[in-house]
Amino acid sequence: MSRSDRIGGILSDNRTGLIALIVVIVVLIGALKPMFYSPQFVINPMLTSIAIFTVVGLSQMVVLSVGQMNLAVGGMAAVGAMVAGIAFQDGDAPLLLGLALGLVAGGAVGMLCGVIIAYGGVNSFVVTLAMSFALLGLVPTIYAWVSPGSAITVPTPGLSELGRWQLSDLCIGDTCGPDGIPLLIFVTLIAMLVIWFLFAKLRVGRETLLTGSNDRAALLSAIPVPRRVVTVHTLSGLLAALAGFMLGASTGSFTPAIGQEFMLQSFLGPILGGTLLAGGYVSVFGTFLGITLTVIIRQGLLLFGVGIEGLNILLGSILLIALSADRIRHVVGQRARLRAVRRADTTIDEAVAA
Amino acid sequence: MKTRMGAMLRTQNTTLAVVIVIGTIILTIQSDGRFLSPISIQTFFQFLAIPIIIGLAQMATLAVGQMNLAVGAIGGFAACSAAILIADVGLPGWLGGIIAIVIGAVAGLLNGLIVVLTQINGFVVTLATMTILAGAQYAIVGTRTITAASWPELQAIGAARPLGIPLIFWIAIAIAILLALGYRHMLVARKMLASGGNPLAAKLSGISNNGSLVAAHTLSGLLCGIAAFLVLASLPGANKSIGGDWLLASFAAPIIGGVSLVGGTVAVLGTVLAATVIRLVDSARAAFQLDPSWVNLVIGAVVLGTVALDRVRTQRRTAPARRRPPAPPAPAPTPAALTRTIDEGAGA
Repeated sequence: MSRSDRIGGILSDNRTGLIALIVVIVVLIGALKPMFYSPQFVINPMLTSIAIFTVVGLSQMVVLSVGQMNLAVGGMAAVGAMVAGIAFQDGDAPLLLGLALGLVAGGAVGMLCGVIIAYGGVNSFVVTLAMSFALLGLVPTIYAWVSPGSAITVPTPGLSELGRWQLSDLCIGDTCGPDGIPLLIFVTLIAMLVIWFLFAKLRVGRETLLTGSNDRAALLSAIPVPRRVVTVHTLSGLLAALAGFMLGASTGSFTPAIGQEFMLQSFLGPILGGTLLAGGYVSVFGTFLGITLTVIIRQGLLLFGVGIEGLNILLGSILLIALSADRIRHVVGQRARLRAVRRADTTIDEAVAA
Repeated sequence: MKTRMGAMLRTQNTTLAVVIVIGTIILTIQSDGRFLSPISIQTFFQFLAIPIIIGLAQMATLAVGQMNLAVGAIGGFAACSAAILIADVGLPGWLGGIIAIVIGAVAGLLNGLIVVLTQINGFVVTLATMTILAGAQYAIVGTRTITAASWPELQAIGAARPLGIPLIFWIAIAIAILLALGYRHMLVARKMLASGGNPLAAKLSGISNNGSLVAAHTLSGLLCGIAAFLVLASLPGANKSIGGDWLLASFAAPIIGGVSLVGGTVAVLGTVLAATVIRLVDSARAAFQLDPSWVNLVIGAVVLGTVALDRVRTQRRTAPARRRPPAPPAPAPTPAALTRTIDEGAGA
């Protein structure tokens, strides 16, 4: 690859565009509203939202990697948060145990979906949609059963610190961290690193991507396609549960409302970040950037006094525009692949002729 | 003829009818017969009309293998816009009712056009339009409730009780019958079913799949508009919450009613019966004074069970047909074949 190729590649990569867009928007909003740089009132809540929604986006991204979808991200997040909350309230579980139980519960729901999809052969939409309906009913019912106020607020040591502390609360001697950076963002960074490592370095990840780009070819290459489908759905449930737990920790209480606004965000992040709906390609960093962009736009508009309704109209429009871009990318990629095949065909013909 | 009778007995509709009869008996016994009193029956059917129509609206998109997440948003937006036009702009009530229906159809048409132009799965497109329309609905009505006193003509329709049963229920039934006849006899509807059943075969038979998609989404939007009309006729007012809880009901009725989610089939009677069953569950919930989330739990579990069972049933039916002779050795991948695989991958 020549140098100009690489520069062209960086420029045409939509992550570069996203970064530029984010910088422009931050500068623009900051210039108009200096309040935007306030660590306490804007930066901290914004980074907390980015942290939570990035995990939600990753949860959708891992399923998109095999060309499927998880419509139950919100429900799985609610289950994860609920199980963790119950473990804290009724089991007096320590922080990490409750978190682990929540993740296992979310993963189990995801795995159930994956098994029905992979071995029952049912479309992923249908299964996860039906699952989201079942969870929509199940979660409030269980909350009403275990806790009179339908919300669980617990004084588990470490929970509120994890959810609300910022780096400035962490001091070694007299030096404290910078203001406005929530601890939760580090949980997200760890999750991003793990998922990136999985897809970039591990055999499982490569197999998953191959399954997504062409499942028949993957099956013929001795890749256990059904097992990979179950893997991604389990992982998706686990990540959704993590996001639900993080939201519960940051707001201080576990309620049935957790996860209700996850669905749109879960698609916005990966699609803006360049993950293909058709499967076969994922971008962890792109998902993070996509979420960052939407959260910044959201926060900025809130500063300008735009109401929730305006935000919804805007976010829906962004999704539609991103989708059209996704389609264009897909068509272009397809053409490139076709060209490659034609080239390969002629080489074979030449070889045969010779 | 005998086998046909046998097949009829085994269909989903029979099961649903039995469930309805048993449910009615249980509720009647539980309420000491009050469940069958005229007022109770009127309320039952009054709140059954809208679920039937939104179930049919979802069915129209499912028939071409698509989904319409924006059912509630289209209905809510159409009802609220019409209400604003009547109350604030001063349009006559009947015109507002027609406008609600037209807005629904136009929104559906736009959904269909976006799906066809971007070639993106209808689910994601309607997720986006749902968000946009729900935002727009809130933007136009805000926190106010426009009372139904502004449109007495429409309220008269909602209050009419021919044969002791609300007129709006008769309207819903009439629309269901029209749809059933249409899906059986009309060319455009047969084309939609063909596109939903096997897009490739439909294309090779000279049917425009894109045309079918647009037609199905428009029909779905039109039905949402009719649901909005019924909202104006029967509810005491219009506000931002209208349409918010339609999504589950819209999917549950066709799925339980036996509509295949991969497209190609419709079940108008099944959808109507399933909507009735859901209404019974809701009545039972009220009779036993349970939390409303129980209804969602029961319906969600039934939908999940139906989806899983349906698959088992179809697999058993098609299992012998799967034993085809081995395919001839595949030729070298041609660009056309590759495109097809990619498209199939995208559609999966």
